[in-house]
Order: sequence, then structure tokens, then C-alpha cells
Amino acid sequence: MTRRSLVLAVVGLVFVGGLPLAVHNPYYIHLVETIMIYAIVLFGLDIVVGYTGQVSLGHAGLFGIGAYAAGVLVMKLAAPLWLTLPAAIAVTAGFGALLALPALRVTGPYLAMVTLAFGTIIQILINEMTFLTEGPLGIKIAKPSLFGVKLGEQEFYWVVLLMMVLSLVFVHRVLRSQLGRAFEALRGSPVASDCMGVSVYRYKVYAFVISAGLAGLAGALYGYSEQYISPNTYNFELTVLFLLAIIMGGRKTRTGALLGATIIVLLPKLLDDVELFRYVAVTIAVVVTAGAVVWVQRGKTTWRAAAIPVAGSIALAGVSFVLETMTDWRLSIFGLITLFVVYYLQDGIVGFVRGVLDLRPRAEAFDEARVAPVIGDAIANAARDMPDELLSARKVLMQFGGLKALNDVDLVVRRGAIHGLIGPNGSGKSTMMNVLTGIYVPTAGQIEFAGHSVVGRSSADIALSGIARTFQNVQLFGEMTALQNVMVGLHHSFASNLAEVALHLPRYRREDAQATARALALLQFVGLADLSHEEARNLPYGKQRLLEIARALALDPQLLLLDEPAAGLTAPDIKVLLAIIAKIRDHGITVILIEHHMDVVMAICDTVSVLDFGQKIAEGQPAAVQADAKVIEAYLGGQAVSGQAA
Amino acid sequence: MQILTQLVFSGIALGMIYAVIAFGYQLTFATSDTLNFGQGDALMLGALVGLTLVEKLGLNYWLMIPLVCVFGVLQGALVERIGVRPALKIKSEFGWIMSTIALGIIFKNVAENVWGRDDLKFPSPLPESPLHFLGANILPMEILVVVGAVGMMLAVEVFNRRSIYGRAVVATFNDRDAAKLMGINTGLVITFSYALSSLSAAFAGVLIAPLTLTGATMGAVLGLKAFAVAIIGGLTSGMGIILGGVILGIAETTTGFYISTGYKDVPGLVLLLIVLAVKPAGLFGKTAIKKV
Repeated sequence: MTRRSLVLAVVGLVFVGGLPLAVHNPYYIHLVETIMIYAIVLFGLDIVVGYTGQVSLGHAGLFGIGAYAAGVLVMKLAAPLWLTLPAAIAVTAGFGALLALPALRVTGPYLAMVTLAFGTIIQILINEMTFLTEGPLGIKIAKPSLFGVKLGEQEFYWVVLLMMVLSLVFVHRVLRSQLGRAFEALRGSPVASDCMGVSVYRYKVYAFVISAGLAGLAGALYGYSEQYISPNTYNFELTVLFLLAIIMGGRKTRTGALLGATIIVLLPKLLDDVELFRYVAVTIAVVVTAGAVVWVQRGKTTWRAAAIPVAGSIALAGVSFVLETMTDWRLSIFGLITLFVVYYLQDGIVGFVRGVLDLRPRAEAFDEARVAPVIGDAIANAARDMPDELLSARKVLMQFGGLKALNDVDLVVRRGAIHGLIGPNGSGKSTMMNVLTGIYVPTAGQIEFAGHSVVGRSSADIALSGIARTFQNVQLFGEMTALQNVMVGLHHSFASNLAEVALHLPRYRREDAQATARALALLQFVGLADLSHEEARNLPYGKQRLLEIARALALDPQLLLLDEPAAGLTAPDIKVLLAIIAKIRDHGITVILIEHHMDVVMAICDTVSVLDFGQKIAEGQPAAVQADAKVIEAYLGGQAVSGQAA
Repeated sequence: MQILTQLVFSGIALGMIYAVIAFGYQLTFATSDTLNFGQGDALMLGALVGLTLVEKLGLNYWLMIPLVCVFGVLQGALVERIGVRPALKIKSEFGWIMSTIALGIIFKNVAENVWGRDDLKFPSPLPESPLHFLGANILPMEILVVVGAVGMMLAVEVFNRRSIYGRAVVATFNDRDAAKLMGINTGLVITFSYALSSLSAAFAGVLIAPLTLTGATMGAVLGLKAFAVAIIGGLTSGMGIILGGVILGIAETTTGFYISTGYKDVPGLVLLLIVLAVKPAGLFGKTAIKKV
């Protein structure tokens, strides 16, 4: 945290904390309290929506579970606050894990529907399980006591503030840690996450559980704050409202969540006051129109594209003068705002402001002094005690419907070798890679790596046992910086748990410093040191390929699979690549290299296997393979050699 | 036993409604890999527009149906233009999910303001005295629902298989980019699929309205349960949704009778969660191979 943001945070805290002393109207205190409670939900929702990129329509349900967990404990057992809050968090986190189960199998619209169904079921259960929840009647909750003192509106406000600040710090620290990087990696490329040893399954569950825990905490606080809970609060509209707040405020920023919470709490109040709403609507219309004019003049958009928001905002202002009361049209206005945000404000208000002011999100601040120096060139030496046949695949069959992408292929890779795998397009090279890394489970055959079978194990498990890979179609985590990409590869080097991360305990700090240093050194090794804070998607194609290699090396692999690393590289870049591969070999790491550039293959491979139509047709020294009649036939067509091609 | 037969018959009628709405999901999913999260609201609007035509304009139920279908076509096209097309252009999955949800909320809110918040009775076009069959009472309207639903789905299937326009739809389904290169206006095909989808929803709305009450909130849960049917049956299987619909319909009527009407929505939703957790492609769908 820089000095400036620290000062800002303290000023903000003093302002919000001092509010009840300055303003005695309980209405306003309650309003700010609600904003803070919603902010806690949104911090959690942002983990799922912003970081892992999943649409959750179940968070109103989770919020409700938190409220009812506290409510039932208070009603049935007269439980104190220090018991109800942890209980609400625990119960809701449990439901979050339950919700994550289908989320493991599906994404996108399916997941949205699943979470929607989940939310609906929760509402039905709350309504029907009257023996526990009193059903539609609802539960009355009095303000809690703490240390024998009954909390008033003011004191409870401070409790909420404390919880909000704690949640903020917790979420912020978690998202900056290896956990946050894992969440973000899931969104960027699930396949690559798995192949970096970051189990997509496990971290999706973590994300949902943490997110649900926060929703539970907020729900419990909400129950105390309202002093009454009933099933109808936790409905579909609330869930959409939460989502709207996140995208409107801005994904992946805590400021955005706070802003979003403020908007969704204040907007209904605004709509209740039609006079005030008219002023606001006119202001919005003027601002949007002016903004559009400036935008068009700067050439950032066209009149056609700008026409819709301008017409919409003017129409909204017009409508506000026609209608006597806005309250009934509240949901329509929320709907319109959602449409507007989805199409014109995708990065939210925070993102928009950053874009206009040309501010880039601050690069992850790290102390140069804190970063331990790395001796040598950051690549871990491969273990010496591995069997000589590091990898042996026997009679591997991979069948997709009637197509045999791999047909009884044998492949033996010797420890320390660079093993080339070549063949025409569609010959099964990449399928082989996917089988070796557990993305596909072979239909038949055995694969042994370092003496253990690979078949049937998960990609993440295989990756952690020492097989790292790059991808033919680059699979980087686009929205993350180069440094963060490599640090995802270093995920295995972290042993610290959630508590250590949240409290910044010594072990976490040490691991984080070491990982940062390793990652920087790895970037330096592939020549990307000065681009470490650039987002991966902004790198040129050739650099992206090098970054993938650095990320794979971070896994400390015994075996490195390179899938067409030279594709799209310029001649000088290829020279660099060759040097890199040679150095990797010098560390004892075994390499399987798929490549179409024959000069690359011939220059560095010790052995070459050739695939064609899913079958191995030749194997041996590069020169021998190059002269093999079958290989020439496969590449150039058969007539010249064998008369009749199949 | 008599009661069970009764529950089965009502379940089948209900299930056919789910199947028709699920069919609407399939249509848009086929052409654009998108779904209208406001499908239930399209059904609700169809029912309420139908009610107005019958009650306020004194139109005959049978004459009202084609008008409601036209309304459905327009409504669907509107949803596609505002909610889906811009999102497809920027390739934003989050975009179309949120915008169809937003449009659904707007439609519901408008309906609340136009038709009020109370549920309304929809006059039945057929006699309301039940027929007796296998010892159970069957409303003539229930038979109409089954016949209408099956007829509707058959008509669209025949259209897709026989006519040149239908082939354009199928081609777009198979490969959107290739279809575009072959000179098919895929944008128009997608709009058309949304129009058809909302048409079937609106039609389902006027079919079910005489059996239940009509109101602004009738769509939400129906739409969600129809999605459950679409998932159980598989988003690509025509027979699957009819079977899925019937399974769900019967599960629901029996739950409502033997446990509590409050819980009647639960089996469908739980089934949805289970199917998605175990076999996401649905019981009758094909599993797609992920490519790396």
C-alpha cells in the first residue's frame, strides 16, 4: 500500500466511522449500514464473477441462508453475536460448497441456470420449512448484545463497519495471493490452470466457499440490521441487483464493489422521490449527450453507436416527467440500467474512469529489497534418481467415435533427451500431448512416467508429478501480467493456507517473496524481464510463446512438452528459442518437442518419432528419420515412392 | 390407483407445456448457442396478451391464438435485436445472459404495471366438465394442451427438415461460420430462431392459461423448470424434451399431492442440479469433445 492510498483509507475510515456521531438520524445510519453489508456480499461475489468469471445467480440465496442461520440461532437458542456470525459464515460456506458441485461440471449459461435453480430452491425451503424458519411469517431479531452490553443502532453500525473493513482486508489479501491468482487463472484458461498443477475443480470450490462465507456474514449482519427477516427478501431481483452492482461498479476492484453497493442501495430511494429523480435523470441525459459529443469528436465512436445511449437517457428523462410515481417502475429502470451497463460500461464505473483518465491499475507493488536474489538461472535441476526410461507409452489408443486419433502408439522417452515428435497436420501429435497430460484419457494402453502410471489421473496431479507443457494455441492467462502468469506456475511452491494468507504470517511472506524472485528470474531467462508487468494478452505472439515456456519451467518439471514453440516466431527469435531449449536440457530436464520447423528439429533433437494418421511410422536419429521413405511419403504424398497412396 | 392415474394425466399435460418452452430454448441454442433467460416472461406476455384479446376485445379463443403467435414473433425478434445480437457481436457470454435477464425483468415489470399484480382467471374455451377415462378425470383442456404442444413442435420440425429456410436454420446450427460463407444470412436466421422460440412460448402461454391462473409472475418458475427439462432431455434432442417434460410434470403433480404443493417446484430443480452435476450433456444429448 502506498502512502497516499493509506492516507485516503484512513480519512475514509474516520469519515464513515464518525458518521453516527455527526448524523443522528437513524434513517441515514441504517442506509450506510446497508451499503456496507451489501459491500461484503459484493466482495465475495466479485471473487466468483470477476475473478473466476462464472455467473452466479445464487448469491441472494446464500445471503438468505446467512440471515436465517443467524435468525434461527437467535430465535431457538438465543445465541450471542460471537456465535451467530461464525455459525452463519460456516453454514453458508457449506452451502457454497454444495453449489460448487454442479459448477464443477458446467460453466456459462448452464451455471447461471444452476445457481438460479439453487436460489429458487433455497427460497422455497425457507418458505416451507416452517418448523425451523417460521415460513412466510419471518423471524424477528433484536439487536445483539456484546460483552453484556446491548448494542444500539450506533454501536451496531460500528460492528458492521468493523466487519466490512475486515472483509475488505481479507478479500484483498486473498486475491493478491496465490489463491487469487489461481482463481483468475481459471477464468483465463481452465486447461492451462490444470496443466500448471492448479486444479480447476479444487479452486472453483474454494472460490465458491469463500464467496459464500462472505455472503453468509453479510446475511447475518443484515438480519440484525433489519431486525426482521422473511423469505421474500432473498429473491431473483436481489440476485440480479448484486450482479448489476458488481458489473456497474467494476469487476476485480474493491472500490467498484463499494461503489456498486452504494448505487444499488441508494437507487431505490432515489426512485421513491420522483422530484429528485427528475433532476437526476435530466443531469444524466445532459452528461451522456455531452459525453457522446466529445467522444465522437475525438473519433472514439460514431454517431450511430452513440445514438442509442443518448436517445435512451433523454427518453428516461422524458418518462420521469410523465410518470407520477416511479416506484412501480423500479424494476424496469434496473433492467434498463443493466442493459446500458452490459453494453456501454463493461469495465464498470471504475474501469471507465481509469480508461478516461488513462490510469492503469497499479502494478502489483513489490519491494525490491524484499525479493530474495536467485542464484543461477532460476531453473531447477531435474532429479537424478529418475528411471532411464522417463516416459514410456505402450499401445496407446485414443478413439473419438470412429476416428482413431492415436492407434497403438508406442513412445519411449529417455531421461535427459530432447525427443522430437513430428508428423503432418492431423497426425495425432497434439492428441499425444493431451493424452500424456491427462486432458484426454486414452481409450486403451498404458503410460508410465517415472515409474508410475499416468492414465486416469487428473491433469493437475500429472502436472505436479513433473510433466509441464506449452500449448499449440497459446493458453496464457490473458488478463494477468507476465509475472503473475509465471507465478501461477509457481503455485506448487506455496504451502501457506488461507489463514496465513489473510494474516500475512511469516511463512506466506517468505513464500511470496521467494516466488516473486523466482518468477522474475524465469522471465529474465526467457528474455521478458522488462515486460513483467505487461498483461499477457498485450504481448506480441512470439513473446507469448516464450512466456508459456517460462510458466511451464516454473513448475520445476522433469519432463517438458513443447507444442510447436517455434510457430509464428521470426528467425532471430528461433535462435533464442534454440538456446533456451539447449539450456533447459543442460539442467537435466527431458524435452518432448513437437515442431514443424525441420531445421529446429534436426538441430537439437536426439531422437525423432514420426506420426502419421495416428500411427508411429518411423523413429530414430534425426538424419535417419529424415531419409526414411515412409516419412517422405507421409509429408510429400505417396506416388513418387510407393506408387499408390492409401 | 385412481388418484395416481389422475396425477399422471395432469402431469403429462403439464409436462407438454414444459416441453414446448424447452423446445424454444433448443431453437435458439441451436442457431446461436444462446438462451433467452426471459423465456418464461415471453410465455407470461403471450398469456396476458391473449387474455386481453379475449376479454377486452371479445375475440374468440381460436382466433386469438394466431394473433398471440404474431405477438410472440415480434417479442422474440425484439429480444434478439436488443439483448442478443450486440452481445454476439462483442462475443460476450456474460453480455447476453445479463441482457436477456434484464429484458425479462423489464417485461415482467411492465406486465405488473399494465395487468396488475394479481393473478387473473383465463376463460376456458372448452367445457370445464371433466371426461372420464381409466377412472380418472381429464379436462378437455388438458387434451388440447397435449395435442397443441405436439402439433406445434411437429410443425416446426417439418419446417426445418423440408423447407429451404429450415435448411438454413439447420446449416447455421451445424456451423455458423460455414453457413455464413455459403451466403446464408445467419444474423437473420438467429433472429428468426428467437422469433420462433418466443412464438412457441407465447403459444404455450395461451394453452396453459385456462388451466392455471394468469399473472405477471407466472413465467419465472415455468421458464426455469422448462430449462430443467431442456437439460434433462439434452439441448439437442427433440424426443428428449418430450420425455423430460413428462417425467418432470408427473414428478411435480405427485410431489404436490403426496408431500405438499409448496414443494412441487423442488423435484424439477433438484433434478436439474443432479443432471448437470452428473451428466451435463443431458440424458439424451451428445457429449462434446473439448479441443485444446
